[in-house]
Amino acid sequence: METLSVYVPKLVTNKEYIASGHRACSGCGEVLALRYVCKALGRNTIISNATGCMEIISSPLPETAWEVSWIHTLFENAAAVASGIESGLKALKRKHGYIKDVKVVAMGGDGATADIGLQALSGALERGHDFIYVCFDNEAYMNTGIQRSSETPFGASTTTAPSGKVSMGQHTWKKNMAAIAAAHNIPYVATSCSSYPFDIMYKIEKARKVKGPSYIHILSVCPTGWRCPSSDTIKMGRLAVETGVFPLYEIENGEYKMNFDYPKLRPVEDYLTAQGRFRHLTKEQIAEIQQKVIVEYEKIKMLSSRKKGK
Amino acid sequence: MKNDIIEIRWHGRGGQGAVTSAELTALAAIHEGKYAQAFPSFGPERRGAPVLAFNRIRTDRAVRERSGIIKPDIVVVIDPGLVSLINVTDGLKPGGTLIVNSARSVEDLQQDFSGDWKLAVVDAASIAKKLLGVNIVNTTMLGALIKATEVIDCDSLREPLEERFGARAKSNFEACKQAAENTVISEITPSGDKRPRSFAVEKLPKWNELPVGCVVTDVGNTKAFCTGNWKSQHPEWLDSKCIKCGICSIFCPEGCIKQQKDGFFRADLFYCKGCGICARECWTQAIKMVEEA
Repeated sequence: METLSVYVPKLVTNKEYIASGHRACSGCGEVLALRYVCKALGRNTIISNATGCMEIISSPLPETAWEVSWIHTLFENAAAVASGIESGLKALKRKHGYIKDVKVVAMGGDGATADIGLQALSGALERGHDFIYVCFDNEAYMNTGIQRSSETPFGASTTTAPSGKVSMGQHTWKKNMAAIAAAHNIPYVATSCSSYPFDIMYKIEKARKVKGPSYIHILSVCPTGWRCPSSDTIKMGRLAVETGVFPLYEIENGEYKMNFDYPKLRPVEDYLTAQGRFRHLTKEQIAEIQQKVIVEYEKIKMLSSRKKGK
Repeated sequence: MKNDIIEIRWHGRGGQGAVTSAELTALAAIHEGKYAQAFPSFGPERRGAPVLAFNRIRTDRAVRERSGIIKPDIVVVIDPGLVSLINVTDGLKPGGTLIVNSARSVEDLQQDFSGDWKLAVVDAASIAKKLLGVNIVNTTMLGALIKATEVIDCDSLREPLEERFGARAKSNFEACKQAAENTVISEITPSGDKRPRSFAVEKLPKWNELPVGCVVTDVGNTKAFCTGNWKSQHPEWLDSKCIKCGICSIFCPEGCIKQQKDGFFRADLFYCKGCGICARECWTQAIKMVEEA
């Protein structure tokens, strides 16, 4: 017992860069992920934050929950603003010689990343700015009331892709943003999940050291939009990883590395039946999802084993 | 009915279904051949935050008013905790009705209000828990509304409920009926000796007092904002079971669970929204969620 005592306080800094009193839903997984990201980033950070849940809940004028430099941008230009700040810092360095080691971070939800801000993100990644892009993926536009995005998984019921007599909800598969980011040949891409604090902090710390663009995709559980009890936030994230629906991996200079490799995956049914947004799915549809999940999981596993043979 | 238009205000918390209640009421009224409106009050409201929903019901002609409701005839309070947080009787017309979900008795609750109103009290939480299995009382409170005011008929709710809830409509309807039976109604009289309650109002700079560009220079000033009144339950620690691992503190979305000097953990209830993650994730089950009184 004694060896166990106070291990979290020993490993994690007490310092919070996102203050309490923010207006996130009770049990929000996204603000939880944001807490870890900010803890790992530290004080010398400039954040450009796209519109979305994290912007709305943290900055109702004249209040702010942020304790680091923070700028609100539109949906579509978080990455563009971040590249501007990064270039500005470079110019300052040229003029004044030395400035502190400041990391520029762009943040956005899945809508701001995969739908509306994709062109700005692609541009910033391609130009090779020294910044981190963090995507908090809660799998729909939760801020405005659960509208589908391109990150909404197959079969989920949303207000703009509702399930009913004619439709089974979202009929397209989740967009693979990590692969899109990796296709820009950037040094570091990783996926993480709000239920794995040490994984998030490890990956952010790693990305902070990388020179050049890096992209972190964090699955953030949204009890409101996923229609599950707010106390099950952590459980849902774990289930997503343990069932293989959202595998956690890193892509370093094009080399895949699976972080959590389970010899035996849990059936996706465990994950799907626990959430109200998948309640309507039939056995056949669940079997279809199961098949797709295994195919995708094996693909990443195969990619991560390839480099060992080299 | 004396008035040709009836206005209802619903007080609830985000996620408790105040908006659904208002919609169902309107649908039931329309089902009876009346004209009705249901609309929520929009703001940055999140799950757990106090929210408002409104109804307008008319029998003679279509409802053409599109403004907010300032002077309601009926106020329904879905969450018992809100009575001490918000002035729920604000603007309530004399002769109006106040309907409260509370485990407290009518006699006890009467002491809190002063005005020429009718007070109806129902312990909807225990009815909902018994019949629906969850503490979501929006449909149960419809029963109390029907009993206290008769703006709609119980049977006209059946169809809207079925459309909305499908297989679960029956238990919701039962809860509604039972609430109607258990509602206790009494009169409140205005009395001079009761002090009007004061409710804390935030003091914040106005837009024209901020620096140009609306730059907020006061970092982390949401700390002054109390999110603790969003919760319907709060965590309690059993220190004898605690191994001081700190899992509760790392998994708290509010970041409000801090280690004390003696090594044990406590949540700052000023911020705690009562999500229950800490109790769910505690290895040794040293945390228990306790319902707010």
